[in-house]
Amino acid sequence: MMIVLLIIFACTLIYFFLSERVEKHINLLAVQGTLLFIIAFINLIEINVLGLILILLETLIVKAIIIPRFLNRIRRTNNLNRLVENYIPFFYSVLIITAIIIASFFTAYSIRNHFVDVKFLAIALSTILGGIYFTIVHKNIFNHIVGIMIVENGAFLLSLAVGGEFPFLVSMAVLIDILIAVLIIGIFIDKIGSAFGNMSTSSLNKLKD
Amino acid sequence: MALLFFFIISTLLALSVFSNKNRSINFSAASIYSLLHISLSIYAYINLNDLDSVYYKFDSLGIILNGLLSIILIPVFWHIRYFLDRYIPDRKMKGRFISLIIILSTALSSIYFADNIVIVWVSLEITTVAVTFLIYHERYPDALEAAWKFLFISSFGIVLAFIGILLLSVKVSNAQDSSLSYTHLQAVSHLIDPLFMKAAFLLLVTGYSIKMNIFPLYPATVDAKTIAPFPVNALTSTAVLNGGFVAIFRLYSIISGTESAVWANRVLLIIGMTSLVIMSVQLFKVKRFSRMFAYSSMEHMALVIIALSLGKPGLYAAILHIMLHSLAKTGIFLHYGQIRAYYLSGWIHDSGDYMKQNGFSALVYLLGLMTATAVPPSGLFVSEYLILRALFSEGYSYIAIAIIVLLSVVMYVIFKYSMQLLYGKLPDNFQKDKAIINKYEPVSQIILFGLVFYLAYFTPGFIKELMNSVVQNLN
Repeated sequence: MMIVLLIIFACTLIYFFLSERVEKHINLLAVQGTLLFIIAFINLIEINVLGLILILLETLIVKAIIIPRFLNRIRRTNNLNRLVENYIPFFYSVLIITAIIIASFFTAYSIRNHFVDVKFLAIALSTILGGIYFTIVHKNIFNHIVGIMIVENGAFLLSLAVGGEFPFLVSMAVLIDILIAVLIIGIFIDKIGSAFGNMSTSSLNKLKD
Repeated sequence: MALLFFFIISTLLALSVFSNKNRSINFSAASIYSLLHISLSIYAYINLNDLDSVYYKFDSLGIILNGLLSIILIPVFWHIRYFLDRYIPDRKMKGRFISLIIILSTALSSIYFADNIVIVWVSLEITTVAVTFLIYHERYPDALEAAWKFLFISSFGIVLAFIGILLLSVKVSNAQDSSLSYTHLQAVSHLIDPLFMKAAFLLLVTGYSIKMNIFPLYPATVDAKTIAPFPVNALTSTAVLNGGFVAIFRLYSIISGTESAVWANRVLLIIGMTSLVIMSVQLFKVKRFSRMFAYSSMEHMALVIIALSLGKPGLYAAILHIMLHSLAKTGIFLHYGQIRAYYLSGWIHDSGDYMKQNGFSALVYLLGLMTATAVPPSGLFVSEYLILRALFSEGYSYIAIAIIVLLSVVMYVIFKYSMQLLYGKLPDNFQKDKAIINKYEPVSQIILFGLVFYLAYFTPGFIKELMNSVVQNLN
């Protein structure tokens, strides 16, 4: 079951690069958030009520509902439909993300550490690297926030891989922190859209002396 | 629970002025906060090495840096008055500015005293949010661009740092409050897998490099400082950099007790030297004073990282350099506010003939310039000398010579640009009738530059003890 979920998760990564539509990217983030909840729920054998509430908040509520809805609102406000500006063509990006997944798989299995769950580590690594690649390859700043969210999903999987559990208060602080950061980034994207008329990084180059 | 009370009162003060339009209430809140901050520094010193509010500890480094912030906040709040009166007509926005400064300073105190790696991470993210809104306070397109770049790169760095924290928690996580405390991590550092330790170190240092204005994430910080209002720069070029240093130093104190210590030292040395080379080259292209001073901060932080890469032999010099640089750069940025008010511009080509036009201020600028570029008898000369001496004594002679060459280049370029300001031709577009001069404004800078000299040559005993204690506590 877990393997199937992780494979589906890896497939969402490839879909990010197959699609040109911004709405699909946001939907894929929601799918990843839901998958993360199911994966975490199955993976945690012994869990207290607080822990369950926290995971529910972080994955289903924040990652699968709040952030996608917020991003969709920004998308509609700024009339963003298709991505036209990329540094690398889509076809090559699909090949590169596939290579990243394969390389992450081999890297994870080459790490011999009893405290690390290799199957989670492989997908976590590919998600983090895939997210970084997604950010770099797009010129549109809206997709940069999508890239950060993918990397954060990878970080969540990594926390499952290493079995890291933070105290409740600290976890809450981390969750609120991430949420606030994403909301503020979203607000700034909105402002850039209205101030510069577009969301391309090429219009953000006035500060160089 | 002193810190918890400090956070609660600070939050209340920040909220009380956030939408307030009354000038006297705003500055009363700022004064109360300043006093509160000083009280915290004194309390922390009295309770040295005591734990507080579960996740915090009053250790020597935290006390030094928090005390420094307490000192810096006084002139910063003083100059914020001038800034708000001159550039921010909206009374509501004035309150918001002070509120954000209070939030930023409180988050910085949290970083300085935190004994938990995640609390440092959370506090650094709070500083990102506060600094972003402070950069964007004047609401023009360049400010938006700078704020966006700072926010985005910082957020990216923070995510990388979080991944680093996760890797560090592989063996040590047991879901107890102390599990990710620095004290605990230092004690179990030998149990952490070296591969994970190295990966965590790289990710955390990369993530926090934006806060310390060093390679690799420095560009967003430099852009932010180019645009940010001068009182904000007086904090981001000093106390925020110190926050970045604390985050990296605490991590270094974990890795320095393991077999990966030599590797970590090399990484820090490479980062420091790369930062120094990049800033020396970039400095030739600057056209704005604020950008020049931003690169100057990068130079000093690079020196601090190089000193840290030497371990114990360089640590005393690194801390002394951090202290003196904070005071000097606060003064320089506060003076930059006066230059901007006088020429109604921050561009170097819009300035000139400062010495003749505004003699007293020009002399103060010259004093600040000598202090910041470590020209003897500047206090920073002492700390730079100590860093170079440590490099020679540890066998890094070639590195030391390269640093001397690079520092000479930096000094030449900064003096070249400053000569345009001091003795260059007065620009044709200069409007004498609109130039703002306040004869009391340079006073704070004279005190700050004097403090740099005093602390370097007549370091008080208790500060020496605190610095020595930081060195002794390193693994």
